[in-house]
Amino acid sequence: MSIHPGTAAKTSALDSRPGAPDPKARRRSPTRVNPALYLFPLPAVAITAFFLVMPTLQAFQYAVTDWNGFSAAFNYVGMDNFIRAFTKDSLFTNALTNNLKFVLLVVVAQTVFSLLLALLLTKNSRGSILLRALFFFPTILSSVSVAFIWKFIYDPNFGLANSVLGAVGLESLQGSYLGNNVQALYWVAMTQVWFHAGQMMVVFIAGLQAIPRELYEAAEMDGAGKWQQFKSITWPFVAPATSIVVAYTTVQSFKAFDLILGIAGNPPKASLDILSTRIYSTFANSEFGYAAAQSIIFMAMIALVTWLQRRLLRLTPKGE
Amino acid sequence: MSQISRRQALSVLGAIGFGATAAACAGPGGSTAPGGSAGAVAPSAGNITGKVSFAHWRGEDKVVFDELIKRFAALHQGVEVAQDISTSNDYNAQALQKLRGGSIGDAFATFRGSQFNNFTQAGIYTDLKDSKAASNYQPGLLAAGKSGSSQLGLPYQVVFPMPMANVDLFDKAGADTAPKDWRAFLAMCEKLAASGVIPISWPGGDVGNGGQLFNCMIANNAPVDDMCAQIEQGKLKCTDDWFLKMLGQYKDLVPYLQPNATGTAVEPAQNLFSQGKAAMLATGSYHIAAVRGLGAKFPIELVFPNTSTGGNAKYEGVYNATFILGVNAASKNQAAAAAWIDFLSEPENAAYYANQTAQHVSVDKVDYTNPDLKRLSPWLGKKTALAARFQFQNLDVRNAVEASATAVISGTSPEQAAEAAQKIVDERL
Amino acid sequence: MFSSITRRGILAIYAVIIIVPLTVVGFGSFKSTQELFEGPFSLPQSLSPANYAEVIGGQDLGSSFMNSVIVTAISVPLTLFLASLAGYAVSRLRGFMSWGIFGFLVLGMAIPAQANMVPLYVLFGRLGLLDSLTGLVVANVVSSLPIAVFILGGFMRTLPKELFEASSIDGTGPWRTYVSIALPLSAPSVAAAAIFLFVIHWNELLYPLLFIQSPSHRTLPLALLSFQGEFQTNYPLLFAGVILASLPVVVAYVFLQRYFVAGITAGASKG
Repeated sequence: MSIHPGTAAKTSALDSRPGAPDPKARRRSPTRVNPALYLFPLPAVAITAFFLVMPTLQAFQYAVTDWNGFSAAFNYVGMDNFIRAFTKDSLFTNALTNNLKFVLLVVVAQTVFSLLLALLLTKNSRGSILLRALFFFPTILSSVSVAFIWKFIYDPNFGLANSVLGAVGLESLQGSYLGNNVQALYWVAMTQVWFHAGQMMVVFIAGLQAIPRELYEAAEMDGAGKWQQFKSITWPFVAPATSIVVAYTTVQSFKAFDLILGIAGNPPKASLDILSTRIYSTFANSEFGYAAAQSIIFMAMIALVTWLQRRLLRLTPKGE
Repeated sequence: MSQISRRQALSVLGAIGFGATAAACAGPGGSTAPGGSAGAVAPSAGNITGKVSFAHWRGEDKVVFDELIKRFAALHQGVEVAQDISTSNDYNAQALQKLRGGSIGDAFATFRGSQFNNFTQAGIYTDLKDSKAASNYQPGLLAAGKSGSSQLGLPYQVVFPMPMANVDLFDKAGADTAPKDWRAFLAMCEKLAASGVIPISWPGGDVGNGGQLFNCMIANNAPVDDMCAQIEQGKLKCTDDWFLKMLGQYKDLVPYLQPNATGTAVEPAQNLFSQGKAAMLATGSYHIAAVRGLGAKFPIELVFPNTSTGGNAKYEGVYNATFILGVNAASKNQAAAAAWIDFLSEPENAAYYANQTAQHVSVDKVDYTNPDLKRLSPWLGKKTALAARFQFQNLDVRNAVEASATAVISGTSPEQAAEAAQKIVDERL
Repeated sequence: MFSSITRRGILAIYAVIIIVPLTVVGFGSFKSTQELFEGPFSLPQSLSPANYAEVIGGQDLGSSFMNSVIVTAISVPLTLFLASLAGYAVSRLRGFMSWGIFGFLVLGMAIPAQANMVPLYVLFGRLGLLDSLTGLVVANVVSSLPIAVFILGGFMRTLPKELFEASSIDGTGPWRTYVSIALPLSAPSVAAAAIFLFVIHWNELLYPLLFIQSPSHRTLPLALLSFQGEFQTNYPLLFAGVILASLPVVVAYVFLQRYFVAGITAGASKG
């Protein structure tokens, strides 16, 4: 399994990993471990092997067939499914492009915006605490609920967005939102940010609150401006939180399946089709083999993007 | 907690016991479902008892079916019918997977076209050729449920996927509800617009409903009647002149649609119509009940966007025979399921369904008493084309071809839109 | 960095962007479609529960609600139990075994659910788990085990070893140590994980969409999604459904806000 340089490892920044060699433990004389202890992880290991690892491996097996999901007969087609996905299926490449664009949009917008909110709400004043609770709130809703709320906002005839624009005399800005194929993805990205920015804000606040106040006081005495302080104190301290936020947002927006289905219907139109919805459509079209091949590309894509991000973030010097 | 049976719990444990390796050997194939289309057989006979699952997508008909179920249960002791309703989009995408196992859908409905064909290939139907039900239908309307010599399904509804018109608004604007050709149609729209209403409300944000207009637009433009099948097979192309001409006519419609039409969902489109803000609703007669439910009191007529020139059109409208009833070959309760279909197909019960839901049916000798149905009944005798979009077998192809029309309405040139659609069709030849 | 006015301005605008849609949904759930479309921001003319009655009774959201309760009530504790067992073992074992088991279990975090849905669907079909709540429980447990092990295992490892060693010298078996020492000491982490799992299991859509066939086995998110079909995008009904589906999480959020933030943040920073 070469597919996980990403998610499992990406959090090492904040977290000590169990099982990793611990100098203190090594120093101690090894106490005998009760053999019964080996039974404890067994149920978890068994169901993970059976329901997670095995189906994932089988996906590779299916991916080289043209199985339709119901007939007993199928053919081995080698790499044809993969070749088809990349060279002969513009619906798939369209979904891939949309997905990468969506991830990029959401990662940038959500990270910047949630950091901004966190900076504004770092202090534990009563007002800040209340607003934090409010901004966090959308996170607990189901994607389908969020999708419905925003579908109504974006409705061009009766929806909130155009009503508000009309009420303040900005009719010229009224649009058809999801109906505009060029913009639709941006509007859904905005919904995704509304949905999860509060969650990422909390991660940033935790990072910001760990910064000793004295550093700012010292900087102030040295006559450093606010921007200078942000650059030389705040940013280095929130860098670990940033890598967490970026990594999590990436995976989350790759999988925005529920939101897209809720907001765009099933199947979504081409301008809102992303990888997970395309895989689902292929599956629903009874092309099981081809859907499995698409899944593998999807997995590889997530791994690749996560890996690239780690490389990029590591390049950011910590204590500039 | 009754849903979690012990048997299932045991099967999980048992499966874990066997270990991952054993199961990993089992590759694709080896399905649990009945396979192949090696000829459907009649539903098995037996006692009409037990629970029948009736799978369909018409949530708005639930109450009417409930009443029919009550009447059906009164005739046969110990029989129960439960409705398993999905939305039409989900039904289109998932019904095949769901019904194959036989856990739901002893009796079921299918869409005409690709879904019917997929079901046929998967061997889900039984043959209703010799059923009591089949003899009750108008023979001409049974074709959509035929495969070879077998009558696999019975198309229950006749719908007219044409724009509905608010006759009051038409009268006020002095517009004619029966334009003879495209120029007359546009002139009619112009009159409506001049009278201060939106001529056409079109749910362009909804693939399923927005695409109904396609049926009208293509009917008189295409050189053959099986144009969509031929597009899918590559014999006709979206880049052909006749198709481009149709897209050009879509472009003519833009000034007469509500603003931002491509982002409009169904319900808002219906509301524009029912509130009297729009003179037409470009979906179909299947929305009459919904529109009445939203408070529309005005008389409703159907209008055919006649795309021909000079008034010698081949067709005066479009219709669709759909909601194809079938009995599931995987069902363990075929006798009762078949009896339920027989019951629905009796003229008296079909009439109840029709009048309550404002849908015409293909059952013969039905007495329409619903005022809307009465008003629209002349359409049953007109020269109408069978709705073309259901010829598509592949949903990706259908969506791509229909999306070309939506693209034109949102400003893409017909040529570009056609090329984009044709590219996707070509990839799936 | 920001002047007080800019700061207040930004916060106020965003607060409005959060509050207004939620208010419209709340008001809208009591309106008729006509009323909603004519004045989305206005107060409902009456607090008639007609829409709620319709979604609970007519659209059978009541039974979907029960299904969601059943599935969540089983899958959350089950995941916690299996994950804490594994996490405990991982924290006590040493060297390769500890590392290997942990690595194997958290590997799943890298596998998106859409990646193996096709084989999983086939497997569930063979096991008779399609269209059953049992199947949903299994799918939920499997998909969230990795993250739960990560959270719980990570925490348990920080517990002082001396506690465990003392008890094993006393001759107490690992089970007793797990129940009476490891679990109580991990309570904060278990609570955080529980909330995290609660929210994701309650809101899970993909597995029900994939596996559930009969409407009587639908969970809430799936039932909600089925509300909007070709023939019915009835916003007031949808809104009543949205409110109903969110109610348990919202109530829990009001009372357990601190754990929510801790839990979902733990999920994020570890997932």
